[in-house]
Amino acid sequence: MAVLAEKVRSAERPGKSRRRRSARKRLEARWGWLLIAPSVIGLGVFSIWPIFRTLYYSFTLWGAFGGHTWNGLTNYRTLFSDSEVLHALRNTLIFALLSMLSVPIGIVVSALLNRPGLRGLGVYRTFYFIPVITLPAAVALMWKFVYNGDYGPVNQFLKLFGVHGPHWTSDPSTALYAVAIVAIWSSVGYNMVLFLAGMQTIPRHLYEAAEIDGAGKIRQFFTITLPMLSPTIFFVTVIGVINALQAFDLIYVMIGKNNPALNDSETIVYLFYDKAFVQSNGGYAAAIAFLLLGIIIVFTGCQFWLQKKWVHYE
Amino acid sequence: MQSDESPVLNGAAEVKVSDKKQISRRAVLAAAPAAMLMTAAACSSSSSSGTSIDSEKKQTGPVTLTYGLWDDTQLPAMKKIITEFEKANPKIHIRTAVTPWDSYWTKLQTAATGGSAPDVFWMTLAYFQLYASNKILMPLTKPIKDAKIDMSQYEPAITKGYTWGKDIYALPKDIDSIALWYNKKLFAEAGLRTPTSSWSWSDLLNAAKRLTKGNVKGIAAQLSDQQTYYNMIPQNKGYVISGDGKKSGYDLPASVEALQFLTDMINKHHVSPTLQQMTDTDPQQMFGSGKIAMYYGGSWESIAFKAIPYALKNCDVAPIPQGKVRKTVSNGLGNVIYGKTKYPREAWEFVKFLGSRRAAEIQAEGGAVIPATHGTQEAWVKSTPQFHLQTFVDEFQYNYGFPISINTPVWRDYATKTFADAWTGKRPTAAVAKDVAKQMNGALAKEPSRPA
Amino acid sequence: MSSAVLTAAPARAERARRRRRRDRRGHLVVHVILSVGALLMIAPFLLEMLISVETFAEATAVPMTFIPHVWRWSNYSDVFSAMPFKQMMVNTVLMTLARTAGQLVFCSLAGYAFARLRFRGQNVVFGLFLSVLMVPSQLFLIPQYEIIHDLNLLNSLPGLFLPGIFSAFGTFLMRQFFLQLPREVQEAAYIDGAGPFQTYWRVLLPLARPGLIALAILVIIWSWNDLLWPLVVNTDPSSMPVSAGLATLQGQYLTNYPVLMAGSLMASLPLIIIFILFQRHFIEGIAFSATKG
Repeated sequence: MAVLAEKVRSAERPGKSRRRRSARKRLEARWGWLLIAPSVIGLGVFSIWPIFRTLYYSFTLWGAFGGHTWNGLTNYRTLFSDSEVLHALRNTLIFALLSMLSVPIGIVVSALLNRPGLRGLGVYRTFYFIPVITLPAAVALMWKFVYNGDYGPVNQFLKLFGVHGPHWTSDPSTALYAVAIVAIWSSVGYNMVLFLAGMQTIPRHLYEAAEIDGAGKIRQFFTITLPMLSPTIFFVTVIGVINALQAFDLIYVMIGKNNPALNDSETIVYLFYDKAFVQSNGGYAAAIAFLLLGIIIVFTGCQFWLQKKWVHYE
Repeated sequence: MQSDESPVLNGAAEVKVSDKKQISRRAVLAAAPAAMLMTAAACSSSSSSGTSIDSEKKQTGPVTLTYGLWDDTQLPAMKKIITEFEKANPKIHIRTAVTPWDSYWTKLQTAATGGSAPDVFWMTLAYFQLYASNKILMPLTKPIKDAKIDMSQYEPAITKGYTWGKDIYALPKDIDSIALWYNKKLFAEAGLRTPTSSWSWSDLLNAAKRLTKGNVKGIAAQLSDQQTYYNMIPQNKGYVISGDGKKSGYDLPASVEALQFLTDMINKHHVSPTLQQMTDTDPQQMFGSGKIAMYYGGSWESIAFKAIPYALKNCDVAPIPQGKVRKTVSNGLGNVIYGKTKYPREAWEFVKFLGSRRAAEIQAEGGAVIPATHGTQEAWVKSTPQFHLQTFVDEFQYNYGFPISINTPVWRDYATKTFADAWTGKRPTAAVAKDVAKQMNGALAKEPSRPA
Repeated sequence: MSSAVLTAAPARAERARRRRRRDRRGHLVVHVILSVGALLMIAPFLLEMLISVETFAEATAVPMTFIPHVWRWSNYSDVFSAMPFKQMMVNTVLMTLARTAGQLVFCSLAGYAFARLRFRGQNVVFGLFLSVLMVPSQLFLIPQYEIIHDLNLLNSLPGLFLPGIFSAFGTFLMRQFFLQLPREVQEAAYIDGAGPFQTYWRVLLPLARPGLIALAILVIIWSWNDLLWPLVVNTDPSSMPVSAGLATLQGQYLTNYPVLMAGSLMASLPLIIIFILFQRHFIEGIAFSATKG
């Protein structure tokens, strides 16, 4: 069909065709700009301009009731000596690292689900996926109850074995881990869906050949599934780390202010929210946001650099 | 409502248009009417806003004022006050804007910045100086004088708290104090006599030890400044902030000793639930269900305990145990006027009514808070006869005003967050107190100086 | 050759039989593992349902109450009196509808233009869009808040959805989808004399339905669950969506776990029901966004 169109076009007289083609071009240019105009304006106003505005704010000091004054690099300098920021940074990294456990769990679950002839795939998939689409605020409230030190089911269960569990979300030594477990719980389903999709593109004949070679299921998993799945694993990890570095909802609802564990569990974005919208210290908050951007760039950059070593593209 | 008051219009006009303090103070001090007129003229000519309020030009059409507040349990009483006010002032309508405490101050700060704060709103002591020093509020000294309002009818701790420089900025709305709530049933079971006004810290501790049994703890040593250490520190002759508002007192030996008294109840004597436990379950809830025998609680909590059948039946309240001296902290709200309101005259009329005896009586009957007006508090005491609420009112004899500076929230929040380390026993109380004092002194040093 | 097949056949059949048997045993093990996992996934929900019909005393009793003395369905109606729950749900639905509609229109238009039209400056603009995609949303938040404030839209529905009707990610996703469609279709439309917009509207958009569905599903999930933005712009309880409502009002009603659980269930249920009804689309949409996005 394309060939036909080409023939039709070249059959026309050169002059006329060029004219028509340039008219076509002008038309496309006009429509092109017209069609992207809403997005250009919308994203320009709500995303692109704000980046520069925030950058500017990160060099200013805010007054309590509006107004800001140029403050040079003070905000950035304060950032690296502020124990609150350093705490938040440490918490965020630990949280991101822990929540990445949902990747291996997701792989295992999807590998089990991917067995040919297994019944009930749809049912399992539904169960694992429900946490993904449940309102995070509701998830957090539910788990806060589960974790309650005095009457929460977790501690009541531990009590059966004579273990006296801690107050999970109020104890500085456990709060961050308790929240990370919820993060893992609620993202396993998402990862599973992506891994299942990835696994279904792996050609069946590879497994059949391995079967004939006498390779067991476990061996097949390591020699075929994992390498073939590595691009998906890479994608899931990159997106997962970026999301985890921006953790906010669970901390806000499960920990919240006036919690003795806040210092040991607040994340960068929680601190950003607190500075920008509770303490009205927008200048400092802007600097925190750029710190976050820096961290995301470093982590994503590292992953892209490392991928050469383990991701197999065909 | 005092209806025989002279019109306040002249005063309000000056106060309203004079954003610059010198002028308003001069106006207040000016004795000769001629001088006052001249000042008023100077002010209105320099004012950019068109709403001048000399007594001749009355606002004619109906006016709607916005009244900002945060506590919806007090809404019924407020609505009742508003209904009476609107009946007496048919040309003024009041619209209430309730914002939960958590977002109230963020929202107000943004609104004040953008010039759109409510015309009249609730103020609390912790935020007052920040708003007064940034000239967000309208000074009321002049209109109070013109309306011949007797300020001695209000609790002095609150009136003093809402004074900034030479001006007063609020008419006191309510007042509170802290006392010792206790569980009669648990006391009887432990064979203990109920707390008396002569109780000292050691009496409290001894009782707490005997009351701690099984899953019941003797007392809640809460990490809550107003309910605990703002009382214990001055009781031990320490202070939170020095009189000139420049220095933290958290690192004084007397203050550390008071803090230690609280943290020891958790970590040494084990007569209080841990901080982690009190975070998971609100101590108020624990006390209300008999899991704690004693509880440092505010006068405002009587309405919550009244609503819990168990507490109403088994609990009562006694004076806060004394240390070296008798002390309790009192906080209280005030009704303030936004400096940039379009209707200063109407706003003042409303605030005047909110500060009136009638409004105080309505609040007292509601039972949620103790009105700041003397002679109306009896009705609050009677609102829940099951509890000895007179205790709270009697404590006003030895109360002191909430410790504040210009930027109170900064060091106050830091203190609560950091004291958690002492409460959980992670670090020694003295070390944490020193840390907090250092941080607080740093914050205080950054504050602008106070007016003379 | 044929004889070899003949002799191999019984052996192969035997091997297949053995494999089937092994598979069946394997299946059982797999089922056990997966069921335990599935139980862990939904156990908190079952618990939540249970708590939501208990009294406060039962919910906080030690040991746990598994069967409530009386089924307190009134906890559900209490949610409506404890907070402006109905209004919050309406806010969530309207916010989600507006954001979804906005992104479907604007992202598909721009995605088509980037994928299928040639015009000067398009690479620069597309590069800008891509850079927006890389930046964490917190970088936009303060100025976005100021814009909404200056437009006098704080505590309003438009304030909630306005920035969310445009999306760099959505545009990118739609561009990838349009790129996938065969070019010939467009060429044919051109020959028939259709202009760029007609080509989009009559020819390509109907073909892009799976892409649009994928985008819609992603926007619905994101919007329904969004917390940070609503928390920032709408502080008035009656103008909050239900996510922010539950998060902020829990402080005031923390003491009443059963009512909170009832509210949480009601707030999450619509999305869960939609998911169960359109499960295939959800799974495909998410997989699509990952492979193409």
